Amino acid sequence: MGAGIESLCAFHAGERHVTEPTHQPFGVDATLRALLADILGLGDERAAALTADSGLFGALPEFDSMAVATVLTEMEDRLGIIIDDDEIDGEIFETYGNLLAFSLRKVNG
Amino acid sequence: MAEHLFRIAPSGASRATILIVPPLFDEANRLRRTLALAMRALAAEGFAAVLPDLPGQNESLVALEDVDLERWRDALAEVAAGIDGPVVIASIRGGALIDHRAEAAAWWRLAPVGGASLLRTMLRARVTADREAGIESSPESLQAAARDAPLLLAGNALSPAMVAQLGAAEAQPVAPLRSIGLGADGIAGTPLWLRAEPGEDAAMAAAVAADVAAWSKTCGIS
Repeated sequence: MGAGIESLCAFHAGERHVTEPTHQPFGVDATLRALLADILGLGDERAAALTADSGLFGALPEFDSMAVATVLTEMEDRLGIIIDDDEIDGEIFETYGNLLAFSLRKVNG
Repeated sequence: MAEHLFRIAPSGASRATILIVPPLFDEANRLRRTLALAMRALAAEGFAAVLPDLPGQNESLVALEDVDLERWRDALAEVAAGIDGPVVIASIRGGALIDHRAEAAAWWRLAPVGGASLLRTMLRARVTADREAGIESSPESLQAAARDAPLLLAGNALSPAMVAQLGAAEAQPVAPLRSIGLGADGIAGTPLWLRAEPGEDAAMAAAVAADVAAWSKTCGIS
């Protein structure tokens, strides 16, 4: 079946490089809320209601060490930044405001 | 010993078998419910859908620390070889790193991810958990320790070979391939594989099944 199938599929066969949708046009704040909603399953309403004082690690039961790690990797992918693990301390994940301030520093260099 | 296969098939003859290669490690658990819904939808379209346990995962009797990506590639090739009729492989995320040794009429990949990204996330989870426990560690120190002993990352005991292979693994070229992401140009849905607690998305499952079925038809499976 090889040749027949390949010729039928040839039109689409090239590998398209598809990445996660980037929310960059909506800004760092919206990108961060969207990725927290994806990872923590917050839903749009809870994600939109996060304030600078909202607690994250230690305050939200879903925010465990795996979620912290996933947030870091997704921040790199979606914000186009590289996070050195030396830059990470517990405070960054204490509140939404801290995480947003860190992200803005990284994005704006 | 053969691994358990989760199979959902139409009551009559099937047009082809969709061999589903799940995401790796915990991401597989987070997506399993949605994959099962997609398998039911594929069966309703006349396809048999098979989701095999990878050695060392789920109901497997093999210890995870005894396997690596090479063994998973071989295991999938063996599963595919044992299927009668045409096989279409549908891989998700890290599944795309191990789906190329199996023989198939066509491949379909959803949100393929590099092994280095998966490894980095698991290393970070361990560093974060260590920090909470008052233990100093870093991704570099953990990877160095993994050169000659299994490394426990997010509950997974990974062999030195697994850590080394994962750090370098990229999805390999296969043809014919449809590679698709999430979002407006791809599958409508959320990245459930990232979610801290398992969820499900019936609409996304239906979209996955419809896209796999359409690609199979494009590739001459009727």
